[in-house]
Amino acid sequence: MNTPRRRIVPRLLQLVLVVLGVYLGFILVFDVLLGQLIPKSLLTMYMVFVIAGAIMVFTFTEEGAQELVGPIKALVEDPSKKWVRNVVFVIVPLLAGYYVYSSMLPGFEAPVELRTIHPAPPGKFKAYGKSYNLATLENPFRKFEKEDPAKFKELVKEGGNIYIKNCQYCHGDKLDGKGPYAAGLNPTPLNFQDVGTIAQLQESFLFWRIATGGPGLPGEAAPWISSMPVWQDFLAEDEIWKVILFLYNYTGRQPRSWAHE
Amino acid sequence: MNNRRWEKTMAILHQLALLTACSALLMAGPAAAKPGTADKGKGIYDQRCTWCHGAEGDGAGAAKEFLNPPPRDFTGGNYKIKSSFFDDMVPSDEDVFRMIRDGMPGTAMPGWSDLLSEQDMWDLVAYVKSFAQYDKPPAKMVDYGSPVASSAESIEKGKKLFEDGDRCVECHGKSGKGSLTKRLKGDGGERTWPRNLTKPWTYRGSADPKDIFTRVSTGIPGTEMPSFADPKSNKKLTVEETWHVANYVASLAKSGKPVAADDTVIKADKVDGELPGTPVDERWKKAAPTTFYMVPQIIGKERYFTPANDTISVRAMYNDQAIAILLEWDDRTKSIPGDEGAEKLADPPLTEDAVAVQLPVVIPSDMQKPYFGMGDAAHPVNIWHWKSAGKGTAESVNLLSSRGFKEIEKRDAAAIGLTAKASYEDGTWKVLMIRSLATTETDKDIQFVEGKFIPVAFAAWDGSNNSEKGSKHTMTTWYWMLLKPAVGYRPLLLGLIVALLVAGGLIWWGRGAAARRR
Repeated sequence: MNTPRRRIVPRLLQLVLVVLGVYLGFILVFDVLLGQLIPKSLLTMYMVFVIAGAIMVFTFTEEGAQELVGPIKALVEDPSKKWVRNVVFVIVPLLAGYYVYSSMLPGFEAPVELRTIHPAPPGKFKAYGKSYNLATLENPFRKFEKEDPAKFKELVKEGGNIYIKNCQYCHGDKLDGKGPYAAGLNPTPLNFQDVGTIAQLQESFLFWRIATGGPGLPGEAAPWISSMPVWQDFLAEDEIWKVILFLYNYTGRQPRSWAHE
Repeated sequence: MNNRRWEKTMAILHQLALLTACSALLMAGPAAAKPGTADKGKGIYDQRCTWCHGAEGDGAGAAKEFLNPPPRDFTGGNYKIKSSFFDDMVPSDEDVFRMIRDGMPGTAMPGWSDLLSEQDMWDLVAYVKSFAQYDKPPAKMVDYGSPVASSAESIEKGKKLFEDGDRCVECHGKSGKGSLTKRLKGDGGERTWPRNLTKPWTYRGSADPKDIFTRVSTGIPGTEMPSFADPKSNKKLTVEETWHVANYVASLAKSGKPVAADDTVIKADKVDGELPGTPVDERWKKAAPTTFYMVPQIIGKERYFTPANDTISVRAMYNDQAIAILLEWDDRTKSIPGDEGAEKLADPPLTEDAVAVQLPVVIPSDMQKPYFGMGDAAHPVNIWHWKSAGKGTAESVNLLSSRGFKEIEKRDAAAIGLTAKASYEDGTWKVLMIRSLATTETDKDIQFVEGKFIPVAFAAWDGSNNSEKGSKHTMTTWYWMLLKPAVGYRPLLLGLIVALLVAGGLIWWGRGAAARRR
């Protein structure tokens, strides 16, 4: 057998480091940076692929494979490594036993519930005792933005007053979803400042969500846990449209419209 | 239209002009300490602050009547959270700046540092102060002397001072939870409650000992929290004594049960033999509580905006027969309808205190649960509703089956063996509810099962606060309860077997290698 090249980091350790690096990368990007925990089962699946891939790469050539398993073979066969061997032979079975033991213990973590935050809207919906067609529904006040800016400003202000009396408790004075009662709700109130919320939606979608509230959500969005009131019970149609004007105006966002698409 | 208002507006305009001129001069100078410009502040104020504080700074924005505490009226010049000496109403610029930057926990006032620049906030300071025509810094600030670091000794001294002669206990209670002996009101005539000192997340100006020192020293103007630096007060504290009290209060702030956002499961341990029969049984100390936020009912009619409590802590245990749930929450008043003392403290009409547990009749096997507000047509819920004793009436527990708040069936709690027992002490209610794991009416009552995640929600009523009753209450969303199954021997046995197998395999491999070498 020819002597393998001396490496600064042995190949086996390289493999371990690569796998560990990818794992930590997942944790860093998703859990820490994005704040989106990866479900354990999904992470396990990813890591199986990563490990399999890494082993394939590391054993691509005969020589590479030899070099990879070299240290393991040496550990078992080399008489001079007797002590390390004894230690490993004790630790590895213990670890395996503990892994089986702990994975058999019942888990006490709350079940993960995946719900759709912005469900696909229905074609039509009912509110205020009539039927609305979401595809053609428009904010009747939007036109004043160009036609009569002074009137538009007044409408926005009226919307703001409605918002502050009715909505800020959960969605917050800053429209950031952090109102005084937000922490006690699950799902948490929507953050309108976020680019991923109202800026991605049409005004008709907002009207639907506000008028029919949590109970008006389709099943995939878990209507049973939403704390959004059914606003058609509290506000007039016009008031909802004014609040919508305010939401876009205050956050400096523009609603999506058919015209742009 | 209104002469006084016109005068006020003129005064403000005048002030504005003056301030602008002054600031312009200041800006020109080399060392403008607080380079806030009132007219720039006005622009930001009109966009961000008028909604609550009103265009004229008088606290009469659209939200006024819905907020508790109400938005501050700046024209009166009264600042609750300030660090100027007690006899000086004027806050320092830093005081106002901090309120804008950090907000006031437990109120609708958010911190603005994510939406406004530092300069914006200094400009707001200048504008906001101009409403009361405050153009000079305070004459004297709170005297902090030489700060006394917190220690067991200082806390002990502080506790004594806190309790001596009813100094703080009169309103805050011995536990610090605010179990008071008199009704309090704010300068606007609004009902106020003393701070529950065990809940640091409701401290308006932080629970840092230095901030507590400031509150104790200068008081909270516009409320009945007095200054303890006032030489005329018969409860006056020296600077050193104030530090001891601050250190003690800071230690109380750590004594409460804060909400851990990721802890959403009440874990019930299985016990051998009897379940604890009272809410004060020593065995409850061994069960870890899970604490949840409570919010006022703002979803259905009539929406409710003035709660006095914001958390509930829950523990549970079970045995072969039954489950025991211990509910614990802070309530400054024991509401006893008909009792003279209790009536005095309460907003009339005084009603009973109450608490409720909500559970699905059928434990869901997928994501779908009953609607969290009393269930829905297809998914009924059970509600166990305990009500405190009145003068001449005993405490009681009601059993409700509900399919939404319009379809509620009252049932006999005793018939299914549901019982409740309560204790009240110094600002804390503890209510123990016990029910058998199984009932005969399997289609109407939840049947408890080990190892399944059971949705559970809570509601509470404080009968002394705004006559909380019916839909006026605090509540939680769905959380979970788990009857922890007994683990048994299987995991340990399998773990051992695997360990032995692996060890055997390794030894076999090692021996094979050794044999080959020979």
